[in-house]
Amino acid sequence: MTTTDLAVPDESAPVRRHALSRRHREWGLAYLLLLPALLVFGVFTFYPFLKNFKLALYQNPPYPGLPSHYVGLSQVGSVLSSTSFHQSLVSTFFYVLMVVPVGLLGGLLLAIAAHKAIRGMSMFRTAFSSTVVSSVAVAAVVFGTLMDPVVGLLPWLGIDPHPAILQNPTWALPAVSLIAVWQFLGLSFIIMTAGLQSLPDEILEAARLDGAGGWTMFWRVTVPLLSPTLFFGLVVGTIYAFQSFGQIDILIGPQNSGFTHTNVLLYYVYQALSIQHDPGVAAVLSIVLFIILLVFTLAQMRYLERRVTYAAN
Amino acid sequence: MPPTESATLDRPTGAGQPGSATPAPTPHRRRRRARLFLRYVLLSVGAVVILFPLYMAVVNSLLAPSQIAHQPPPFFPFNPQWGSYRKAWTEGDLGIYLRNSAIQTSVIVAGQLATSILAAYAFAFLDFPFKRTLFIVFLATLMIPFEVTIATNLATVSSLGWFNTFAGLTIPFLATGFGTFLLRQAFLQIPRDLREAAQLDGYGNMRFLWFVALPLVRPALAALGVFSFLGAWNQYLWPLLVTGNDNSVRTVQIGLKQLLNTQLDQINVSLAGTVIAVIPLLIILVVFQKQLVRSLTSGAVK
Amino acid sequence: MRPQRFRVAVVAPLGALALVLAACSSSTGSSSTTAAPAAATDSKTCSSASLAASAPVTINFWESMPRANGQTLQTLTDQFNSSQSKVHVNLVVQTSYNDTWQKYQAGLTNGELPDVVQLQDTDTQGAIDTQSIQPAQNCIAGFNYSVGDLLPRALAYWNVGSVQQAMPFAVSGPVLFYNKLAFQKAGLDPNAPPSTMTQLVTDAKTLKTAGQGGMGLKLDPWYLETEQASANQLFVNNGNGRTTRATKAVFDNSIGTQFFTDLKQMVSDGSATTNSTGGADVYDNLLGVGSGKYSMTIDTSAALGTVQQLLSQYPNVQLGVAPLPTVQTTPTGGVQPAGSALWVVKKSSPAKQSAAWQYIAFLDSTASQATWSAGTGYVPLRTSSAQSSTIQSLWSTSPQFKVAYTQLTSGVQSQATAGAVLGPFDVVRTAIVNAENSMFTSSVAPAAALSRAQTASDGLIATYNQRIGG
Repeated sequence: MTTTDLAVPDESAPVRRHALSRRHREWGLAYLLLLPALLVFGVFTFYPFLKNFKLALYQNPPYPGLPSHYVGLSQVGSVLSSTSFHQSLVSTFFYVLMVVPVGLLGGLLLAIAAHKAIRGMSMFRTAFSSTVVSSVAVAAVVFGTLMDPVVGLLPWLGIDPHPAILQNPTWALPAVSLIAVWQFLGLSFIIMTAGLQSLPDEILEAARLDGAGGWTMFWRVTVPLLSPTLFFGLVVGTIYAFQSFGQIDILIGPQNSGFTHTNVLLYYVYQALSIQHDPGVAAVLSIVLFIILLVFTLAQMRYLERRVTYAAN
Repeated sequence: MPPTESATLDRPTGAGQPGSATPAPTPHRRRRRARLFLRYVLLSVGAVVILFPLYMAVVNSLLAPSQIAHQPPPFFPFNPQWGSYRKAWTEGDLGIYLRNSAIQTSVIVAGQLATSILAAYAFAFLDFPFKRTLFIVFLATLMIPFEVTIATNLATVSSLGWFNTFAGLTIPFLATGFGTFLLRQAFLQIPRDLREAAQLDGYGNMRFLWFVALPLVRPALAALGVFSFLGAWNQYLWPLLVTGNDNSVRTVQIGLKQLLNTQLDQINVSLAGTVIAVIPLLIILVVFQKQLVRSLTSGAVK
Repeated sequence: MRPQRFRVAVVAPLGALALVLAACSSSTGSSSTTAAPAAATDSKTCSSASLAASAPVTINFWESMPRANGQTLQTLTDQFNSSQSKVHVNLVVQTSYNDTWQKYQAGLTNGELPDVVQLQDTDTQGAIDTQSIQPAQNCIAGFNYSVGDLLPRALAYWNVGSVQQAMPFAVSGPVLFYNKLAFQKAGLDPNAPPSTMTQLVTDAKTLKTAGQGGMGLKLDPWYLETEQASANQLFVNNGNGRTTRATKAVFDNSIGTQFFTDLKQMVSDGSATTNSTGGADVYDNLLGVGSGKYSMTIDTSAALGTVQQLLSQYPNVQLGVAPLPTVQTTPTGGVQPAGSALWVVKKSSPAKQSAAWQYIAFLDSTASQATWSAGTGYVPLRTSSAQSSTIQSLWSTSPQFKVAYTQLTSGVQSQATAGAVLGPFDVVRTAIVNAENSMFTSSVAPAAALSRAQTASDGLIATYNQRIGG
C-alpha cells in the first residue's frame, strides 16, 4: 500500500476479513480436534497426577466412606522412612536389574542368530517374537504351574527348595523376574532385529574388508552402531519392568508379597490403595514412582545424546 | 542409525549371506557348513526354550488332573482329555471374558485411533496459537505413567458411577500421546504439494483428512492399531481395580486369575483357559507380523 | 456466521483447572464421624412390624460359597423364596471371602452394597468399624427372636462389646486330615492319629522315615490363634478385643513358643514342607496327600467335602479326619469358631433390613442348618439340627463330618475360646506368617520369631487404631 493510495481499496477489506475468518476457523478447528484428547488427558492424567500431592497430606481411615484428616508432611515422612518402603525400593531395583539386561541381551542374541536369510528363518522369527502376545496373566498361570512344587517340573529337575520357589524370600523375586524376562524376550527380539536390519551395510562391509572379524566386529562396530536401538530397548524394558504387576498379583498375592520381597513399588501402590484403602499412602508412593521414572528417563536421554553423537561420528 | 518404520522381520540381510563370498576352497566351505549347522542348532534351542512354557501349558491342559501331579511330569498327552476346554469355556466363563475383553479392546483401539488422528492432524496441518505449548502438553503425558494416576482415577471413575462398566474400563485410555506423535510423523511425510493441490480443488480439512491423508498413512494407522490392541488386551491392573466380581465387564486377564483361584483340583482347566486366551493373539501375530514390528519399533524414530 | 476468536489459552486453564479441582475437592466422602453406637437397642428399624408394614421386597445376598456348597445354598434360598411371598432373595455369588470384603468396602463409596452379606470371621471388627452394618441385636429385639439352641460359642464369636453383631452361618474348624493307609504302612495305628503337637512331630518323622510322606504344613496363621484358644489363652488384649477395642497382641506366651518350636522341629527334621494360604500353591498340602508326598495335613473342616472328592481319585489314600492336635496334652480351653456370618447392611431401607433378618433367621433355623450342614460339611449350628435324622445318619455313615462339631462343643466358654476380634486382622496374620517363614528360611529361633511377630502386630494395631480413632 503506497502513501498516495489514501483510499484503502474496498477489495482489500473483504479479503482481509475473509483471511482473518479463515484463520480463525482454522484455529477453531484445531482446538476442536485437540479437545477430545485434551479432555481425557486433563481428567485422567494431569488432574490425578496433581491430586497426588494433596492426597499425600491426608491420613485415611481403614474403610472408605469415613472421613480422612489432615496430617501434613508427617505421612510422607513416615512412609518414606518405613522399612516396607525401603524393602520395596530394593526389590524394585533388583527386579529391574534382573529383567532388563537379561531381556535385552537375550533378545540381541536371538536377533543375531536369526539375522541370516536361510531356510525356515521366518518360522524361527515368529517363534522368537511369540511371547510378545502372551499376556501377563497367561505367562503367570503357565509358569506358576511349571514352578509348582507338587505339579510342576522343578522336582523332576531336582530343584526342591523349602519353602517353595514362589514362597521363598530368596528365590521368589528371581522367579518372577524370569517370567518377566520370558515375556519381554519377544519384544526385545523384535526391537533388536529391526535394529540389526537397519545397520548400514556399507560400514559393516568396510569394517569386514578392513580385517575386522568375529568379536572385534561385534564389539567395536555392531554394538556401537546398535546403541540407539539398545537405548530404545532399555527405555522400553525399564518402563515394562516398572509396570510389572500381574505376575506378582497372580502368583504371590498381597499377603505374601512383603515376606517374599516381591513387593515392588507398583505392587506396593496397589496394596496401599486397594487393600489398605489408603489413597494417601498410595499417593506418596505414586509420586516416588514418578520421580524415579523421570530421573531415569532424563538420565538416559542425556546419556543417549552423548553416545549417539559419538556413534554417528 | 535408528530402525525405520518399514523394518520387518523378513527382510534378508545383505552382508554375510551364504554364497555371497567368492567360491572358497573346500575346507572353508566345510567350515561354513558347520557354522550353518551350528546356527540351526542354536536357533532350535532358542525356539524350544521360548515355546516350551506354552507347549507345556497345552500338554497339561489335555491331561487328567491326577496325571498332572505325576512325577516325573508327562511331556506328551497320550490320552488327551478335551473336556478341560469345554469346562474352561462354560464353568470358567471364558467365553464371556473373551467377549468382554473384545469389547473393551475395540473401544480403546477405536478411541485411541480417533483421538490420535484428530490431534495429529491438527499438529501436522493446522496452525494456531499455543501450538507449541499444546504439543508440549501432549509430550508431558508420556512422562506421567498411568500407574501414577490410579489412586485418583479410581475415585473419579467411582464417583462418575462408572465402576464395573465398560465406560470405566475404557474412557481413561481413549487418548494417547504416543499415538498422536506417531500419526503426526506420518502426516508430516505427506508432500506439501498434495495438500495445496487438494486445497485448490476445494477440499476442506475434513475431506482432505478422510480422502487423502488417511489412506496415505495406512501403515502407521495399522501400526498404532496393533500397538493399542496389545496394550488394551493385556491390561491387568486397571481392570482388576475397576471391575466387580460379576462377569458383566470382567476381562479375560482377570478371568484367568479367577479361573486359577477357583479350580483347585483342575489345573488342566486353568491351563486350557490360558490356551484359549492366547490363541486369538497368536493368530494375530502370524497375520499381522509386519504391522506389529513396525508399531513396536517406530517409537525409536524421534 | 462469525467465527469466534479462540484467544483463550488452553493450557493455562487446563492446568489451572486441574490445580483448582485438586485443591478444592475433598479427598473422601462427607459422612460425619458418628458417635460409637450407644448401648440402647434400636428395635424399630429392623423389626417384624417394619416388615409387616411394607410391600413385598427383593433383597440381594452376597455370598462366596464355592460350587457344591453354593448349590446347597441355592436350594435353601429357593425353599425360602417359595415358602412365602413377602421376601425374595437374590443370591449374588462372589469369588471368595476376601473378594467379598474388598467389594463391600468398595461399595461404601461406589454405592454398590448388598442388603445382607456373608463376611468371614476376621472381618468382624472391620465390619463394625465401617459403621455400615445393623447389629443383629437390634433385629433380635425388633423381631422378639430367641436364639434358642444356637451353639453358644458360635454366637459368642460374633458378640462384640456385649452386642450380638452378626449371626453365625458357615462355621468350621481346623482339623487333621491324614492317610490311614500310610499310617498303617508306617506301623502307626490308623485309628490313633496324633492328638498333641508333640505327637504330631514324632509321627511326622516316623511316617517320613518309613517313606510314606510327612506333614503338609500349610502356614495358616489361624492355627496359632486356635492353639491359644485351645489353651484358654487370649490372642489380643482387652478380652480378645471383645470388652473394648484391642490395643496390643498377647500371643507371645509359652503356648505360642511351644507351637512355633514344634513347627520348626518338623521342618528341620525334614518331615514337613510348607506351603502358603495364597498364591498358586494354596492347595499343595491337600494335593500332596493324594500324590503321596504327605501323609497328613491340617486344613479347614469346610474343605472336607472337596477333599473327600479329590482324594477318592487316589487308590493309595484312605482319608481320616481327627481334631486339631493341641499344644497341651489336656487342653484347658476349646477350639474357637471360624468361618463366616451373616450381616444386615444398615444402608438398606428398614423394610429390606427386616427382610434380610427374616432370611437370616430362616438360614439359622433347625431344619435349614441340618440341610446346610449335611450338604456342605459345615458345623450344624443348633443342637436340634445336630440331633436331626439327616445329620445323625450322615454322622453314622461318615463320622469324619462330626469332628468339627465335637471340637466346637467341647471345652469351656470364655473370651479366649470365643476367638479374637481385631481390626487389622489380615496384616497381623501376615506378620505371623512372616515370622513363621523366617524360622524356616533365615533360621530365626522360635521364641525370637514369635516375639518379632508380636512386636510387629502391636505396631500394626496401633496404626489401625490411629487411623480409625482420629
